[in-house]
Amino acid sequence: MSFFDILHLALRNLRQAKLRAILTTMGVIVGVAVIVTMVSFGLGLQSNMLERFKALDLFNEIQVFGQGLSSLAGMERPGARDEGERRLRSRRATRILDDAGVKEIAAVPGVAYVEPSVNFPAYVRSNGKLLTQYVGGANIPNAATRFQHFAAGRMISAPTADEAVVSERFIRDFGYEKPADAIGKTLELLAPPGEKDDAEEEEETPNFFGIPLDDPGFDELSAVETRTFRIVGVLGTIKEGAGQGGLRGLMPSAGIYVPLAMAHSWTTQHRGPLGQVALALARQGGNLGAGQTEGYEVAVVRVADPAQLTEVRAKITELGFGSFSIVDEIDQIRTVFLIIDSVLGLLGGISLLVASFGIANTMIMSILERTREIGIMKAIGAEDREIKLIFFVEAAVIGVVGGVVGVLVAWGIDGLANRLAYRFILKPQGASFIDFFDLPPYLWLGAIVFALMVSILAALYPASRAARIDPVRALRHD
Amino acid sequence: MPALLAAQEVSKIYQMGSNSVTALDNVSLEIGEGEFVAIQGTSGSGKSTLLNMLGGLDHPTKGEVYFASRPLGPFTKKEMARYRRFSVGMIFQNFNLIPTMTARENVSLALAFGGLRGQQRRARSRELLARVGLGDRLEHKPSELSGGEQQRVAIARALANNPKVLLADEPTGNLDSIRAHELLALLREMVNQDSLTILMVTHDHELANSFADRIVFMKDGRVV
Ligand SMILES: Nc1ncnc2c1ncn2[C@@H]1O[C@H](COP(=O)(O)OP(=O)(O)OP(=O)(O)O)[C@@H](O)[C@H]1O
Ligand SMILES: [Mg+2]
Repeated sequence: MSFFDILHLALRNLRQAKLRAILTTMGVIVGVAVIVTMVSFGLGLQSNMLERFKALDLFNEIQVFGQGLSSLAGMERPGARDEGERRLRSRRATRILDDAGVKEIAAVPGVAYVEPSVNFPAYVRSNGKLLTQYVGGANIPNAATRFQHFAAGRMISAPTADEAVVSERFIRDFGYEKPADAIGKTLELLAPPGEKDDAEEEEETPNFFGIPLDDPGFDELSAVETRTFRIVGVLGTIKEGAGQGGLRGLMPSAGIYVPLAMAHSWTTQHRGPLGQVALALARQGGNLGAGQTEGYEVAVVRVADPAQLTEVRAKITELGFGSFSIVDEIDQIRTVFLIIDSVLGLLGGISLLVASFGIANTMIMSILERTREIGIMKAIGAEDREIKLIFFVEAAVIGVVGGVVGVLVAWGIDGLANRLAYRFILKPQGASFIDFFDLPPYLWLGAIVFALMVSILAALYPASRAARIDPVRALRHD
Repeated sequence: MPALLAAQEVSKIYQMGSNSVTALDNVSLEIGEGEFVAIQGTSGSGKSTLLNMLGGLDHPTKGEVYFASRPLGPFTKKEMARYRRFSVGMIFQNFNLIPTMTARENVSLALAFGGLRGQQRRARSRELLARVGLGDRLEHKPSELSGGEQQRVAIARALANNPKVLLADEPTGNLDSIRAHELLALLREMVNQDSLTILMVTHDHELANSFADRIVFMKDGRVV
C-alpha cells in the first residue's frame, strides 16, 4: 500500500466525521495560536528593546578605563558586592589612559574611532543667566549618533574652534525662546582665578587657550576666569522611539559640548580639592612620574562592526585597559528573555497538551466506530504497520492543518493587536507605529512541527490499539 | 498430489470464563490444488471456525495448518498478513464489505493492499466486478446493492490478488436457486480454467453434489 493510499484513507476517515475532525483541529489551532502569539510577543519585546539599544549606539561602543587618579593615589576599592561587579573589576586597568594609549587603541583593527570622555560641572553664563551645567568634550569631527540631529545650527567646525554645541535643555534653562535664537550667542565658563597644578608646567601648550596661567599678582576675590564660546549648534532631542530621553551611546551626556582638547585642559587646570589631593598622593607615591599626566579616566571606543566588539575588547584588555560594554548586559537580558519566552511558550504548550488529549480521544472514538472496518482490512491482508500508519497520518493531518491555521490565526492576532495598540494608545500620544511582535520563520515553522509531533504522539496509543484489533472478533462485531 | 492446504489435528477451544467451548475437535483435512471441496454441517458445527484457521485469521489451540506444506504456526504477524493478502481469498458469511465504500472501492482496497496502483488498479477492479456480473454497479455502495450483489462484490474482492485458495462461507446463502446456480457455475469455471482451489461452506446438498468434487461433513467440531 503506497503512502498516497494511506493518506487517501486517512482523509476519507476524517471526512466521514467532519464535525469531530474540525472540533479536534480547533483544539490544535487554539494551542498553536496561543503559543505563537505569546512567544512572538516575547520576541517582539526583546527585539524592540535590543533595537532601541542599537539605535542608542550601545552595541558598537566600548567604554575603556585607564588607571584612574584614585587608584594611582593608592586608594583601595571596596570589595565587590556581586557577580556583576566582580566581572567589571576583572577588567581593571593596569595603565594610564593618556594620548599615547588612545592612539594605541585607535590602531586596533576594527576600531572606528576613540573618543576620550571628559565631563565636568561648571558655572556657565549665557543670555544673562548663571547656572551650573555639565560640560563635555567632543572630538571634532565626530561621527557619534548624538551629534547627528541638530534642532538648529551645526557641529563645532574645528578641534581648536571656540565653539560650543548645546542641548535643547540648555536652551530652555537659559531662557532662549527657541533653539535658533541661541545660535551665534555666547556662553562663558567660569572658574576661580589662577588655579592650576604642578603638572601644568609640563603641559606642552600651556598657553594654548590664552589663559594667563602664570599671572602672579592675582586677586582671588576680584576676578574669576572666564572662557567664552560661541554657540554654533543646538542638539535635537529625539521625541519618540529609540533614543528617547537623549542618552546616546556610552558617552555621558552633557548640556554643553566644547572641543575635546579644551575640555581636557580645563579639567586639569581646574580640579577640585579631591582631585588635587589624589594627584599629590600619586606623585608622592611615585605611581605618577614627574613628567606624566594622569590622562583620561574614560574613553569611548566605537567599533566599525558590532560583530567585532568582543574581539576589539579583548585587544583593549591586552593593552592593559579596563573596559565595559553593554553587550555583557545584553547577554543577561537575553537570558531573561529566554526565560520569559519559555514561560510564555509553556503556557501555549499546555493548551496544546490539552488539544493532544482531544486528538487521542477523537482517535479512540474513531477506532471504536471503525473496529469492524479495521477487522475487514486486516482480514484482507492489511499489515499492522499499515493500520497504524493510517491513524498516524490522520493525526498528522489534524496536527499540520491545526498548526498552519493556528499560525495564521496568531499572525492575524499579532496584526490586529498592533493596529489596535497604534490606534488607541500610540497614535493619541503622537507616537509612530510599533510592531510589538516578532514572528520569525523558526517560530512559526517550529510551532507547526511541534503541533505535528504532539499530534503524532497523541495518536501513538490509539494507533497501536487499532493495530492490535483481532480480526475474528472484529468481524463478529456489529 | 500433495495437499495445497491442510489442517492437521486442529482443535480450537474458546475459553468463556469457567466453561470452555470446543469449536473444533481434532480436525484433519487435506485439500489438493485445483480441488473444489464443499463443507456441510449443522449450525455451530465449527465450519466458520475452521475457515478462519485455514485463512490465517486465527491460530488453532492445538494442531497445525499447512499451506503448500509450510506450517502457518511459526509465521510472524507480517507473514500472516501477506498470507491473507496473496495466498487465500475469503468470502465471509455476512459479506463484510466496508459500508461507506462503493463496490469498486471495496475491491480497490484489496488491490491497494496487494500493491497495485493507479490505472492498473482501476482496470483490474472493473474487470473483477465485470466478471461477477457487476460491471454496471461499480459506484454502488453495499446498502445500494441486493444481498446477492453484495455477495458477488465480496467474491470479486476475495479474488483481487489472485489467491491460490478461495475460502467461501455460504456464498449462496442469500441467493435464490437460479442465482446460486449461476454463482457456483462461475466458481466451477474458475477452478477448471484458473486451477483455483475452493473450500466452500454450504447448506445446499444438491448444489454441493452437482458442483463440488468432494463433500466434507462436520458435526460438533469434528469431520465425520
Ligand atoms: N469467539 C468465540 N467465542 C466463543 N465461542 C465461539 C466463538 N466463535 C465460535 N464459537 C462457538 O464455536 C462453535 C462453532 O462456531 P462456528 O461459527 O464455527 O459455527 P458454524 O458451523 O459456522 O455455524 P453456522 O452454520 O451457524 O455459521 C459455536 O458453538 C460457537 O458458539
Ligand atoms: Mg458459520
